[in-house]
Amino acid sequence: MSLPIASVRMKRRPLLAGMAAAPLAGALSRVPALAQEPVVVTMVTDTAGLGDQNFNDLAKRGLDQAVEEFGVQGEVIESRDASSYIPNLTQAAEQSDLTVAVGFLLTEAVTEVANQYPDENFLLIDAVSEAPNVQGVLFREQEGAFLAGVLAGLMTESNQLGVVGGIKIPPVVRYVVGFEAGARSVNPEVAVVVAYADTFSDPALGKELTLAQYNQGVDIAFPVAGATGIGSFEAAKELGEGYWVIAADTDQSQLGAEHQLGVSEKGVDTALYLAAQQVVEGTFAGGEQSLGLAEGGVGLGSPHESVPQEVLDTIAQYEQAIIDGAIVVPADEEQLAAFEPVAPDALGSAAATPA
Amino acid sequence: MLSFFSVALLTATLRSAAPLIFAAMGGLLSERSGVTNIALEGLMLMGAFAAVAGTYFSGSPFVGLAVAIVVGALGGFVFAFWSVTLRADQIVAGTAIVLLGLGLTSFLTEQVWGQAGSSPPVERLPTIGLGMNVLLPVAFLLVPITHWFLFKTKPGLRVQACGEKPEAAQAVGIDVGKYRYAMVIASGVLASVGGAYLSIGDLSQFTTNMTAGRGFIALAAVIFGNWMPWAAMGAALLFGFAQALRFHVQALGLPINQDIIIALPYLLTLIAVTGLLRKSTPPAGLGRHATEG
Repeated sequence: MSLPIASVRMKRRPLLAGMAAAPLAGALSRVPALAQEPVVVTMVTDTAGLGDQNFNDLAKRGLDQAVEEFGVQGEVIESRDASSYIPNLTQAAEQSDLTVAVGFLLTEAVTEVANQYPDENFLLIDAVSEAPNVQGVLFREQEGAFLAGVLAGLMTESNQLGVVGGIKIPPVVRYVVGFEAGARSVNPEVAVVVAYADTFSDPALGKELTLAQYNQGVDIAFPVAGATGIGSFEAAKELGEGYWVIAADTDQSQLGAEHQLGVSEKGVDTALYLAAQQVVEGTFAGGEQSLGLAEGGVGLGSPHESVPQEVLDTIAQYEQAIIDGAIVVPADEEQLAAFEPVAPDALGSAAATPA
Repeated sequence: MLSFFSVALLTATLRSAAPLIFAAMGGLLSERSGVTNIALEGLMLMGAFAAVAGTYFSGSPFVGLAVAIVVGALGGFVFAFWSVTLRADQIVAGTAIVLLGLGLTSFLTEQVWGQAGSSPPVERLPTIGLGMNVLLPVAFLLVPITHWFLFKTKPGLRVQACGEKPEAAQAVGIDVGKYRYAMVIASGVLASVGGAYLSIGDLSQFTTNMTAGRGFIALAAVIFGNWMPWAAMGAALLFGFAQALRFHVQALGLPINQDIIIALPYLLTLIAVTGLLRKSTPPAGLGRHATEG
């Protein structure tokens, strides 16, 4: 609790200093458009906070990139609990040109704050908002996760896959159902068990959930659970060779590179970076954006070196089929129930048929 | 298959219960001496952090454990200073320790490792097989030791006197403040070791708020166990078993509503507390100072 307060104090000072220096900088600079008050971008994390080595850290990476390339001033406010979302977002709106709400859990709070600050810009990751000044970015996580499912379905030796979800919210569900659809497409015998941790910030719990899955015969785990997912790597490390983890959102090889089979990537950093660019260029607008495989917003990355080339080729085929619209990946449990797996042999003809 | 299932269930139960037992034994000692201890969560978190920091800089998890013990004693001392010497409201002082633990460890994580929220991985304490680390048997050994101390030794009986009737204890010449200091510091050490169990025993790094309410569950175990060591251990085991059951039911992928499974440990504990337990009787002098009427 002392941390946010301390950081407010630290933040105010550079902000004021920057404002005081602004007229001078404007007079001297060769690029007057960019040299007035520095553009301030503030991201407000969800309760998992920085250091989840996952979702929030990924957003921070996009912020750092914007700081480096556009010279914006980047600030981070961490949310300790759900009740601090509104005060944190309000503080961010007061001090910045772009307020970034990192995560679905902040949807209601950001709508409320954006309505109170109709002239400020807001970026909301993973959800859309009714407020007109909020740009909501939705990722089609299911498309990247589908490819992760293809990878897991082809690589599993036990034909059992485990998913550890954080809290059952739509972006997590999209990951989960996409993964299962992909795995079932390439491996009709595969069984996928899904366990929700109900928290994004309890690695010890994540470890036990993953251990229980491994003990039941699962050999590839797919944690979509923020810092809780750190525990999945701990579980794999404990059991040793032959136990794999596919990371969600971002590369987590620092937690155990020898157990990371691949990464179902999600361009949270890209979304934040692009929005910062739009604010700097004055083109930022509210509304809804959808980023999937076709837009490069999601994907499958960092395959382990032991993954054979044929598997990578099959993944590439599926990727093309999804981009072409030949496969529509389910995005919720209802669509998953209705989903007809598309086997690799059917792919050639399906992909060849013009959509 | 069935036997393997039960071994896995048993070990998961023990692993989930052990950190709760450390904190619960600490809380029990403190409460038996008359100091309400809701600070356990904060002390655990400090211990989890200190253990990782100590391991990180020394390279040895045993040094990390020693650092956690020292930091836990310091945290307990601060809590004792507030709640015994300054006679602050024990609930308020305990809450302050919880908030201090959360804020300080988050802040220091960023200062020490230059990255917010989590430390880099460090070496773990050695395991004794089946995913259990060396601290696990220590947790269970603590229970008879605590029982013996409280009920069979002179200092233990004095501690109880301080908790039941501080004025009377004072009147017969027992230094209530001294005993309370000792017990609160002991609770800091034990809760801190419980935190170290999580960060360098079970896992190999520190993450923000990684104790995730276990300190409060440990306190609930103390109350559920009616301030008796064996019963508090039973409560911790019950909760650990419910957690383990939850993990295994979830891993089996049975078509049961996940919300119900997730609520299972809390539900079981609630049922046990309300249904099975006779009226719980806290130490009579809990939260009272020796010189109060």
